[in-house]
Amino acid sequence: MEALLAATTSIAATRNAQATLPAFASVVETHKAMVYSIAWQFLRDRVAADELAQDVFLQLHKNWTRIESPAHLVYWLRKVATHRAIDAARKRKIQAETSLEETDEPTVLERVHDSFLSSYLQRMVASLPEKQRSVIILRYQEDMDLEEIAKILSMNVSTVKTQISRALELLRGKVSRRLGKGTAPHDSI
Amino acid sequence: MTPFEKQLQQALRRQEPSADFSARVLARCAADDASKRSVFWPAWGMGLATAALVLLTIGGGALYQQHQREVRGMAAKRQLLLAMHIAGSKLQQVQERVQESEQPSQ
Amino acid sequence: MKRSILKLAILAIAAVPVWAADDFKLPASIEKLAEHATETVDVTLDQSTLALASAFLSKDDPDEAQVKKLIGKLKGIYVRSFEFDKEGQYSKSDVEALRNQLKSPNWSRIVGVKSLKGENSEIFILKDGDQIAGLVILDVEPKELTIVHIDGAINPEDLSRLGGHMGIPKLGKDRKEPKGDSNPQPKPDKDDEESERY
Repeated sequence: MEALLAATTSIAATRNAQATLPAFASVVETHKAMVYSIAWQFLRDRVAADELAQDVFLQLHKNWTRIESPAHLVYWLRKVATHRAIDAARKRKIQAETSLEETDEPTVLERVHDSFLSSYLQRMVASLPEKQRSVIILRYQEDMDLEEIAKILSMNVSTVKTQISRALELLRGKVSRRLGKGTAPHDSI
Repeated sequence: MTPFEKQLQQALRRQEPSADFSARVLARCAADDASKRSVFWPAWGMGLATAALVLLTIGGGALYQQHQREVRGMAAKRQLLLAMHIAGSKLQQVQERVQESEQPSQ
Repeated sequence: MKRSILKLAILAIAAVPVWAADDFKLPASIEKLAEHATETVDVTLDQSTLALASAFLSKDDPDEAQVKKLIGKLKGIYVRSFEFDKEGQYSKSDVEALRNQLKSPNWSRIVGVKSLKGENSEIFILKDGDQIAGLVILDVEPKELTIVHIDGAINPEDLSRLGGHMGIPKLGKDRKEPKGDSNPQPKPDKDDEESERY
């Protein structure tokens, strides 16, 4: 009797949480930039990023009933997008060099001066080792805290901190050499 | 956050996919659902779904071609601006070195 | 029979375009340098790709409008830039293979500057009558090699006028710090702290 009550309560809780979920179409519209951007930062290929993002949403559609809440939804999307992007990047063996497959920002045109540094940083992030790339994207694109990143990437928080620190050091060094700027002050994590 | 981290954040800001992204995702999901239900649908239902899918594909195909051209065009533009930057920088560098070599030694 | 063979030979020789001797191509040995480089920039834009890129340049953005004007008559732009973490990653023969192509009568070296730090910069132009039909910039440094080839009618002055735009410092202002022997950046370590579970 108690087990039945517990199961019923659990189902009711899930249904309540799901009742707060917006419609699927709205979810796609709301989170497409997040999913697409994670894919883009890994793959540096607009077409491939588009396809990967579509696959993520298709997978979400198939697993829709397992999503427990809006917060879980965001966590799920970030996790699946990141892991799929890592797998796809491994298969493509992305290199740091620039090629015609590397595509640009979206339709909004930017000032060339600023976009060069941004573009350079993007390329340098794409050239980072896999784990460093992942933590940097989740930290600075998704603005996630260390605990959240650790959960998505199945790492310890201390490892996340180390990876971010190493990545920032590498990036700062490359920017300093390439663009002749002074060394940036020590970065906070 | 340090200035460098802010620059990094700026560089890694989110980007929008193409304007028809949501429509294409929903079309794929609908197609996926249709393929699962096909066993239970009557023949006319399958015909209707197939016709809808074909229309979506044709329309989506044309959109996709346009999207592809935009993608390649923006990529080419980016490459061009990079090349111009490097060429301009190198010319400037050469000019500087010439000027330095022409300065009388002290 | 002999006369007809002779005629054919003369026609064949005459059919070889004179400009073929002025073609500048990047040898395979240069392309292979990417394998040793810590950073590579590889840009190849032929005429059709340039036309495509031009279509996406904005007339309202002054920088892009200037670039659009600059590339109007170009057939191609090719850039290879390699950065290495130590000296000796490319050989003199690699560079000579490039220079040898620029010794044909129609190519002229208009600038050549050498520094004591081993930096050597050269600019070559391809003449077509009074017009410039091509430009090559060769920048040779101990840890960096850059080749820029612009195929088509270009005015180097217009190109250098991009200075002050596109992140390119103006001459005399925002001068880059002279390149010294910077500490080589350590290559990223393989992470052995966590098993990969992706």
